[in-house]
Amino acid sequence: MICAEIVRVLDPFVDGELEAERDAAVRDHIAACTTCAQAVAAREHLGRLVRATRYYSTPDRLRAVVATGARRSSIASRVAVWSAAAALIVAVAGGALIARTIVHNLRAPANAVAEDVVSDHVRSLLADHLFDVRSTDQHTVKPWFLGKLNYAPPVTDLAADGFPLVGGRLDYVSGRNVAALVYQRQKHTINLFVWPSDDGSSVAPPSSIRGFQVEHWIRDGMTFWAVSDLNAAELHEFRTRLTR
Amino acid sequence: MSSRRFDETVLPHLEAAFNYARWLTRNDVEAEDVVQDACVRAMRFFGSLRDEDARAWLLAIVRNSWYTRVGRRGPATQSIPMDETVHDAIDQALDPEAQLLQQDEVARVHEALEQLPADFREVIVLREIEGFSYKEIATVIKAPIGTVMSRLSRARERLLAALAPASRMENAR
Repeated sequence: MICAEIVRVLDPFVDGELEAERDAAVRDHIAACTTCAQAVAAREHLGRLVRATRYYSTPDRLRAVVATGARRSSIASRVAVWSAAAALIVAVAGGALIARTIVHNLRAPANAVAEDVVSDHVRSLLADHLFDVRSTDQHTVKPWFLGKLNYAPPVTDLAADGFPLVGGRLDYVSGRNVAALVYQRQKHTINLFVWPSDDGSSVAPPSSIRGFQVEHWIRDGMTFWAVSDLNAAELHEFRTRLTR
Repeated sequence: MSSRRFDETVLPHLEAAFNYARWLTRNDVEAEDVVQDACVRAMRFFGSLRDEDARAWLLAIVRNSWYTRVGRRGPATQSIPMDETVHDAIDQALDPEAQLLQQDEVARVHEALEQLPADFREVIVLREIEGFSYKEIATVIKAPIGTVMSRLSRARERLLAALAPASRMENAR
């Protein structure tokens, strides 16, 4: 290649966009030609300078607005589906509507909590606020909650089972402060929300909300909600190991 | 379309969307407005996102949102604020003297980049700061790859000229 040709491909060359053969040809040329080597170096230097300029981070306010908007739109669409379903049922059989409404209302509290924990899970990942205390040691994580909550959440490391504990934080679910324990399964994050169970609260069956798996159980007076993008089987395995 | 896929697919690219919008608008408040508009649109059109690159798709919407706003108001009112926090990202590993030199250079390149016309400015930001491939940039700016290449080339020539001390004097008027 001659200099005039090099000039035309300087940019795709420094951007790594040339196919292998031409890339090698440019490399051969600049190894021998100081002028073209300098032109490449100038572009590379410019790139470093541009990358050293300030990166404009998303303001937290905007992040919150957008995340809330996404959540609202999902609720709105679900309400729309319900309204459509209700209208249909009215048209077909009035009695069925009443039955469905009752079922829906009975299930609402557990559903609302499940919605809440999924939203908290998403927020913890998006806002990059996964941990208040970052530790793989259960003896560090458990005492951290002392004085921050009026109960002591059970903290168990499951590293030996492939679910290492990575930390914890305070979170807010259904109007109360709760402990959120964070576990990892390969690249997946599991949020485990723990708080004392109320008398007579029912256990929600495993469910899938917006693509996240949710498991709920009650044990030793504590209610547990596990949320993750793991598949249902793996999240269930997590629960099994934890309650073993 | 459920919002769970929106959460997972689009929201992880909010950082890139804001940085891009901030460079387009050169203004914090306006950048926030543009990104918010874009997210509303993105939610509405989310169903039309097939197997494409979600990041490029979102940034293309950011770009449309900005052009819609600018078009409504006219580009003449665009302000070019100076940015005083430009020194924040300097490589701390350099010795003090080299750091000062680099700070000066980075500040100058930041200023030069802000002064570039939007068409040139955006390809530099997408390529150098966000690390987009030519194909991704082509998706964002809705232009052929050849255009991406020539814009990048011209944008770099302009920046290099602005940074060369001799031509700076000439340009100072």
